[in-house]
Amino acid sequence: MIALLTGMLATAVLAGGVLALAALGEVLAERVGVTNLGVEGLMSLGAVVAIITVVATPNPWLGLLAATVAGAAGGMVFACAAVIMRANQVLCGLAVTFMGLGLSATIGHDYAGMPSPATFGHVAIPILSALPIVGPAVFAQNLLVYLIYLVLPAAAHWVMFHTRHGLNMRAVGENPAAADAAGIAVTSMRFWYVTLGAGLAGAAGGYLTLTYVPVWSEGLIAGRGWIALALVIFAGYRPFAATLSGLLFGLITALSFVGQARNWPIAPAILNMLPYLGTIAFIIVPVVVWHRIRRVMAAPAALGVPYHRDIR
Amino acid sequence: MLGLAAGAAGSALLRPAPLRATAAPRLLPPVAEADALIAFGHTGPITDGGWTAAHNQGVLAVRQAFPRLRTVYVESIPYSADATRIFRQFVAEGAQMVIATSNYGDFIRDVSDRAPEVAFMECDGHTVTGNLGWHYITHWYASYIIGIAAGLMTRTNRIGFVGSFPIPSVYAGANAVLLGARAVNPAVSLQAISINAWFDPQAATQAGTALAENGCDFLCGIMDEPAYLRVAQQRGIKAAMWNTDMRQYGPDAYVSSVMLDFRAFYVEQVRRRLAGTWRAAPCFLPLGHGVDRDTWGSSVPPDIARQADAMRARILGGYNPFQGPIRDAAGRVRVPAGATMDDDHIYQWDWAVEGVSGLD
Repeated sequence: MIALLTGMLATAVLAGGVLALAALGEVLAERVGVTNLGVEGLMSLGAVVAIITVVATPNPWLGLLAATVAGAAGGMVFACAAVIMRANQVLCGLAVTFMGLGLSATIGHDYAGMPSPATFGHVAIPILSALPIVGPAVFAQNLLVYLIYLVLPAAAHWVMFHTRHGLNMRAVGENPAAADAAGIAVTSMRFWYVTLGAGLAGAAGGYLTLTYVPVWSEGLIAGRGWIALALVIFAGYRPFAATLSGLLFGLITALSFVGQARNWPIAPAILNMLPYLGTIAFIIVPVVVWHRIRRVMAAPAALGVPYHRDIR
Repeated sequence: MLGLAAGAAGSALLRPAPLRATAAPRLLPPVAEADALIAFGHTGPITDGGWTAAHNQGVLAVRQAFPRLRTVYVESIPYSADATRIFRQFVAEGAQMVIATSNYGDFIRDVSDRAPEVAFMECDGHTVTGNLGWHYITHWYASYIIGIAAGLMTRTNRIGFVGSFPIPSVYAGANAVLLGARAVNPAVSLQAISINAWFDPQAATQAGTALAENGCDFLCGIMDEPAYLRVAQQRGIKAAMWNTDMRQYGPDAYVSSVMLDFRAFYVEQVRRRLAGTWRAAPCFLPLGHGVDRDTWGSSVPPDIARQADAMRARILGGYNPFQGPIRDAAGRVRVPAGATMDDDHIYQWDWAVEGVSGLD
């Protein structure tokens, strides 16, 4: 039983990290009022660029950096269209997804199936890693786990809710016209946070190929980008909630495999549905349960609406 | 989008179709090599390192054998009306032969019925018409041989199986491994997990991990990529793969693989088409001619490899190990004592044998 819980949690922490990172990036973009549906494509791009980089120079940190830069570059393309040109965000996001999937398949063609020559190794923290269950699952993972579940969401939370800049940022997402009147540079705020969020999506892809699934092949992301989008809604657009929902989702996924491996009397088809049922639940729960606390969990009021100063 | 890319052994649809010809096949006129266009429709990308990569080797062999003919291929054809459009395009471009490397059912039939002068072949297909044939590998014999090694190598007597969907190829693969293992070690059982995809390294990793944590010390399955081999390597257990030689991904864990080789088969089919002797027919590629176990991994003890290879030699000599009595997972005798399951029967296997759990 202990071994089962340990294994499940360890898998959840690893698998959830990818979603947590991508969801955190999307929180940044959506908080300034931009829906970036390109996450799936950006993750794919990050995954392949990470592999290409470590093949050239076997340093996983460089690979992760390159994945982040690639994601950010893709995000800039999206931001140019959706923020600066004010094109429809949904269509631009879908275009970025297709662009990312197609581009990564093209540049990754010669790298497909090649195992990643450098990955992030596991580092056991003394004392803590000896704890039952959480020890091996949380304190004997790669170092990025702490970055994803602790450092990055803490930084995002602090900036967002404890600084003047964060107040401005949220104002841009809630009411860009008022923010503009108050002297906040709406367009550049949106542009850079979308780029940063896209960089995290790229990093999520890189994290996948540098830790958990150390090989590139087409279709590797397999819909995780879309799930990350659902997690953002479930998490009420909050950084820590987004990363924790990534972990929760990782647990649900792990559960479906454990259920099959232990031969629970539930049809495999149902167990396999769990992640997707979870996605639907993750969208419905905020509507039904969070209703009472709508003020804190609601979407930014100007989410998805391009800002035109001249017709405000 | 959600990881349902189909690949390894065909579509998820079960169909109780007649496997044999319903119409008399007819000969198509010969084609000069320089005028020939041979089209291949692939289910996945040719770089998948698995099923489609194996078929692509066949395409390359055809090009090498007939340097003057032209070949075209389209990758990642979905199981939808898009497939019909792509096959129709092949015909419009003037292809004399269209080879689909997975089961496209009615999507290919729609095209083949309207292009009687074009030869069609469907891997894992189930219908034969005047100009549409099917071919498939008898992978269950290779799985049976690997099962013998598994039965001798497992210490926990539990084999894990990472499958995609509960379809005949997966039933045949899992059943054959277990029957092979039980032939040498009656205490063995097999636990299968279906991950709803032929290609999803994340899910396969999680499935392999879950199986290992539940006491399986030998993993096998039918996947287009080596994720669960890596799990085995990390955990110090063993794994057998499918499609290609994947030992580089887990040299200590690698036992063998159900190796596919379509090169000679495709070259021969194209040769017949050019010569005007091709006929639409069902065709199983036998053990040793299109499918085989891979060279044993370095961690397989020589006496175990010898024992498994002894069975391989018997099968090559004509022996069929799928002999009754074979019971299903509920304990009912499905193949009575004295009866054997022939290839047609195994090809449409849709129940799990006793000792296999997780598929029904």
